[in-house]
Amino acid sequence: MQSEVAAGIPAPQRTSKAYAPVRRAQEDPAWVRWGLTGFSLFAVGVIVVIPIANVFAGALTEGIGTYWKNLIADPDTLHSIYLTLTVVPIALVANIVFGVASAWAISRFSFPGRTLLVALIDLPFSVSPVVAGLMFVLIFGLQGYFGPFLRRDGYSVMPYLVALVVVLALAVLYVLLRPSNSQARRGFWRLHPAIALVGGGVVTFAVLVLAQQALGVWPQNESLKIIFATPGLVLATSFVTFPFVARELIPVMDAIGPDEELAALSLGANGWQMFWHITVPNVKWGLAYGIILCNARAMGEFGAVYVVSGHIAGETDTMPLRIEKLFQEYNMPGSFAVASLLTLVAILTLFVKSKLEKHLPTATSRGETEP
Amino acid sequence: MSIVVKNVSKRFGNFAAVDDVNLEVPNGSLLALLGPSGSGKTTLLRIIAGLELADQGTVIHHEEDVTAYSPRDRKVGFVFQHYALFRHMTIEDNIGYGLRVRGVPKAERAERVNELLKLIRLENFGKRYPSQLSGGQRQRVALARALAARPAVLLLDEPFGALDAKVRQELRQWLRRLHEEIHVTSVFVTHDQEEAFEVADHVVVMNRGRIEQVGTPAEVFEHPANAFVMDFLGNVNVFPGKVEQGKVVARGMEVAYPAYPHAEAREAEVYVRPHELVLERRSEVPAPLIAKVVHVNPAGPRTKVELRAEASEQMIVAELSNERLAELSLAPGDTVYVSARKARVFMREETA
Repeated sequence: MQSEVAAGIPAPQRTSKAYAPVRRAQEDPAWVRWGLTGFSLFAVGVIVVIPIANVFAGALTEGIGTYWKNLIADPDTLHSIYLTLTVVPIALVANIVFGVASAWAISRFSFPGRTLLVALIDLPFSVSPVVAGLMFVLIFGLQGYFGPFLRRDGYSVMPYLVALVVVLALAVLYVLLRPSNSQARRGFWRLHPAIALVGGGVVTFAVLVLAQQALGVWPQNESLKIIFATPGLVLATSFVTFPFVARELIPVMDAIGPDEELAALSLGANGWQMFWHITVPNVKWGLAYGIILCNARAMGEFGAVYVVSGHIAGETDTMPLRIEKLFQEYNMPGSFAVASLLTLVAILTLFVKSKLEKHLPTATSRGETEP
Repeated sequence: MSIVVKNVSKRFGNFAAVDDVNLEVPNGSLLALLGPSGSGKTTLLRIIAGLELADQGTVIHHEEDVTAYSPRDRKVGFVFQHYALFRHMTIEDNIGYGLRVRGVPKAERAERVNELLKLIRLENFGKRYPSQLSGGQRQRVALARALAARPAVLLLDEPFGALDAKVRQELRQWLRRLHEEIHVTSVFVTHDQEEAFEVADHVVVMNRGRIEQVGTPAEVFEHPANAFVMDFLGNVNVFPGKVEQGKVVARGMEVAYPAYPHAEAREAEVYVRPHELVLERRSEVPAPLIAKVVHVNPAGPRTKVELRAEASEQMIVAELSNERLAELSLAPGDTVYVSARKARVFMREETA
């Protein structure tokens, strides 16, 4: 069979040698083929398969019952799972928003500093996580730049921060939804854009800040903890996983090209409609791929989180930190039990990732492919 | 006037894609922007559509200045060279998209979509996806999508460029008939002069970001404004020569040129299309253009004859009817006398 396929032409003459295997020019001798295959299998087995199997073996040495107890009976372990499940989604949302925005900017516009932006997005990949964690400690820690202020009356910054985010979101909406045809403009859109943006922005900002202060939404004269608390964990995790979504989206958006988006615009869609009707469905697989990778990295993050968490059991320990602590306390089954959860997430990620890869467009499949 | 373009310029870096162009498109006409690649025709079309913003100049649609409008407010239908169909939507949803974003009720939308599916003769394809259609079908869907919201202007960017020859031919005729039916002002871009002449009722020849000539296909073909237009619209033989006292002499060819009655000789070029050349076995002209037959190529209803001029070694292409060829019974190596039934003269300054 193989000989026929390899030859690519009908069997020449049915002599006694007709079925002899055909050797192709690029085919290496048997010992090279077997040697390389064997070495790869051996390496994967020793470095990947056996340790992973060992994680599950270690977790289950004392039976399923103990395994289960190790996971849910210890309040500190339970809290670490809960904390990871809080920190990771927040970091994911932040990175999705950033990733989509920057991928859009990079693949659709050309502006000065575009290459620099591409390089900067990759920076967190090359910075050691421990250094990343230290950076945040230096900024927000007690001895850091903002430390004294945050300790004195940290929450006083919150009304401004919230108001700023809301105003920026509204400004983006205003620009996206503004009809360019002067006759089609109603209400706010009839004002000059600069006046509407600056005036509206200042008024909304002031109203929001004053409303929050008057209603006492945020506590006063209290310390706002960022380092050794959840906000720090979110910051460190976001930083380390920063590039994932953008890096997956940029090639996808490049491959799809801007034509469909332009077609939507010429058919009368506004920016908002174009984004949700055309862009999002087109990049959804790439986006999902990025989110999956981002999630896996975020859940397993150790170094940066280690530095900013302060290791307070039951308060700032995420799952990887908890694993390390249990290990240091010689609680091997407990440590392996939590580790097995992270491993399961990894295996699941691998599975979903291989499913998603089929849907990703390649540079050659621009436009629709033939059925 | 449906579309008026006034003094529009667009630069990409140091490259002037569109250079101070003025253009008027009459109501209900089907106009072709014709030119070689890089001549700015697509950029001009995109400026009319609002997909590209001009650096300077004004675009007016139906007496309304739309220069600052975004594409969605210009009421244009735009057809892309590579269709740009929404790949995740069915054909129905693709065609109905323009109505959907304009808030047309569902029932009305479905009615219009069916009407258009009938128009493009794809009634049973509504539930399919773009990837399940052939290139020609996709381009028809793209056209229907552009027409759905009843645009005031239809713009097509190399609409048949990505299709094979036979489908292209069919779609050209279909577009011509469609235009006669719905009569929406249309502008399409092409680099294929045959296509422009077959489909359009007005042709605009562009080169290096400027308009070289505007006219009906017959006007442009019969009276090319300059050497570029002459050269671009099909094969042409160029004979360099001198003009003086209302007469051009170019390599044994003599053509009257009353526009230059002066005694001082200047350089000029004589342009003759292959089918305007006359081949003869005998000649009465005192100093005729003598050429040797190099190759006879009897493909199709007319025969191409390649010749080499005796004195200048210049290659000449002539086109004869098959009957005339039989009369002459030409074979490679034969010597013939070449003259022109019709010729155009462009002075050197004009061609520069």
